[in-house]
Amino acid sequence: MSLLLPRVAHSISCFVVVTAVLLVGCGPSINRYALIEQSLLAGNPAQAAAIVEQTEKEYGTKSRVLYAMDRGLTLQLAGDYPQSAMVLEQAEEAVERLYTRTIRSETAAVLTNDNALPYEGDAYEHVMLNVVNALNYAVQGDVEEALVEARRIDHRLNVLSDQVKESSGYRNDGFARYLSGILYEAAGDLNNAFVAYRNAYQAYEAARGWSQIFPPPSLRADILCMAEALGLTTELDDYQNQFPDVVWGPASARRQLAQVVMISYNGRAPRKEDHFIDLPVSLDALQLLLLNYREMDSVLDELSGRVVRVALPRLISQKTQISFSTMTLIDAQGNPFTVRSEPAHNLTALAEKSLDDRMPAITAKALARAAIKFALSEGVVIGAQLAVGRKNASWVGLLVRILANGLAKGSEEADKRSWQTLPDEIHVARAWVPAGRYQLAIQPSGQRVSIERGEQVLDLVPGQTAFILQRVMQ
Amino acid sequence: MTQTYRRSLSALVCAVLILVGCGHELKVTRVDSDLVMDLSGRWNDTDSRVVAEAMVKDALQYPWLGNFSQARGRQPVVIVGTVVNSSHEHISVQTFMTDLERELTNSQKVTFVAGKGERDEVRTERKEQAVYASEETQKGPGKETGADYMMKGAIATILDEVDGTKVIFYQVDLQMIDLENNTKVWYGQKKIKKVVEKKRIVF
Repeated sequence: MSLLLPRVAHSISCFVVVTAVLLVGCGPSINRYALIEQSLLAGNPAQAAAIVEQTEKEYGTKSRVLYAMDRGLTLQLAGDYPQSAMVLEQAEEAVERLYTRTIRSETAAVLTNDNALPYEGDAYEHVMLNVVNALNYAVQGDVEEALVEARRIDHRLNVLSDQVKESSGYRNDGFARYLSGILYEAAGDLNNAFVAYRNAYQAYEAARGWSQIFPPPSLRADILCMAEALGLTTELDDYQNQFPDVVWGPASARRQLAQVVMISYNGRAPRKEDHFIDLPVSLDALQLLLLNYREMDSVLDELSGRVVRVALPRLISQKTQISFSTMTLIDAQGNPFTVRSEPAHNLTALAEKSLDDRMPAITAKALARAAIKFALSEGVVIGAQLAVGRKNASWVGLLVRILANGLAKGSEEADKRSWQTLPDEIHVARAWVPAGRYQLAIQPSGQRVSIERGEQVLDLVPGQTAFILQRVMQ
Repeated sequence: MTQTYRRSLSALVCAVLILVGCGHELKVTRVDSDLVMDLSGRWNDTDSRVVAEAMVKDALQYPWLGNFSQARGRQPVVIVGTVVNSSHEHISVQTFMTDLERELTNSQKVTFVAGKGERDEVRTERKEQAVYASEETQKGPGKETGADYMMKGAIATILDEVDGTKVIFYQVDLQMIDLENNTKVWYGQKKIKKVVEKKRIVF
């Protein structure tokens, strides 16, 4: 007995240390998102940015990209565009570096959960990095630098379309293309604007089945306008036949006017939560599970090693209540110019599509992980039993099994990380107005009070494109 | 023997796992500013310097310079205009333009005048001198040297990427334009091609 306890303690302590070390840094805190959302709801984006910064350590070393995504977006909402651009640039560089995976991280993920892997972000989040950053430059009036992001979007989507073979997959991005077109047009590059608008239309059409977004009517007008400006008569006839109801004006008329583009981030991106599934490891356990399922039995089964638990991520959508916003520009004489926003991007649908596409791989990995954990815990039990000898094998085996299975269960957690500071939807409103001074007012639908922009005055010159960002949490 | 082996193995596994996540110490090394260091494959200080040197050298070799000096009996006056960034990167165009200005000035073959941004500051200074400086030291208006030529251009990139291998093709186009009649007296082009390869998995 004197030799027994040290041996048992050694086996158990080694397993505990191994698991504890691997668990370090796992499990992202979600409280910060509640605080960020509260700040944004209260109309205090600077506080939201500060919360992200203060909780940097909570994100951990494995979620540096996620931290930069959240920080970049909240800084943008707080109006610190240069800092936001810098942080998002860093995020993009970090994503590029994460192309190279380490065996060390992959092994840790197999033994614990996917939170042990550095967060890379989904493909649509990578595109959003460039979209958000393009808006950082566009809002500052730096169209040349915004176009750098538009070119990156094009490159990123080209690479993506090479990688994703399924025509129904996320291999193009209507909104990112649409924004690129607006930027090219703002820079006077009508040829690239036409190409981007046309690609945007094709991307919207290709994703209609799952994105729940139709090509915005203004995009159709843009295609017609650019085709006319470039003298592309065949394309113009073709698109006129496709869009017989679209009202549009020639590009020459647009050049005499100034444009105001409002980009509205509406609602909250979906969050992820754990979806636990108990799987029997023997036919007896399956019978017990099917015929006599009770919570306590399940717990006992897990502890006794007859059932393993896998955790899969599940999306919880947080849909916006805003169906449109009204942007009003009031000129010096008090004449109002009013336009209504159009839905242009559905990020919840994108997140769902992305998770659906990855779910088979996530499930297979989770099952493999459960099998490895089961095998490891069985190995530890056998090792402990051998170490203590036949006399004490049964109670030591039971003790170690309970501990090992408890640790295996405790370490099982789905990767719930996602760029949660993104909106649910992005709406776009575009107004062409004569040059001059305008007072801006924006009213989201369903809200009686228009958003305070009393101090925001726009001085517009012919040919200018001014970008306005708007965040509505509802 | 088996127990010793087991214990050693266990200790080794624990030690390796505990070491997981240990970061590198901060290390700072001073290097020569001319040393070529390609880290990410993006446009860097070396590209800016090398392109500026090569293109200015190329520009000054062509006959427009000799023709002008012969006809007017003086060095041509050059100003650097806009260099448009049409690339996939947020290139510091200002750094590149400074490199161009330095090479042009140091060539001693052309007279170089301040660009648009610098001119505003100098003019403000002259206006203030008119108020605050003594008459003997004041610099009056209307004595600026007008440029004969403007150098302007663009930096563009073409990217191709598959399976972690990226080919970046930079093309820098510069033109020397006669400000009197808009004729282009020189057209220079410099190309840089980089291949960036990333491994999919490492230890």
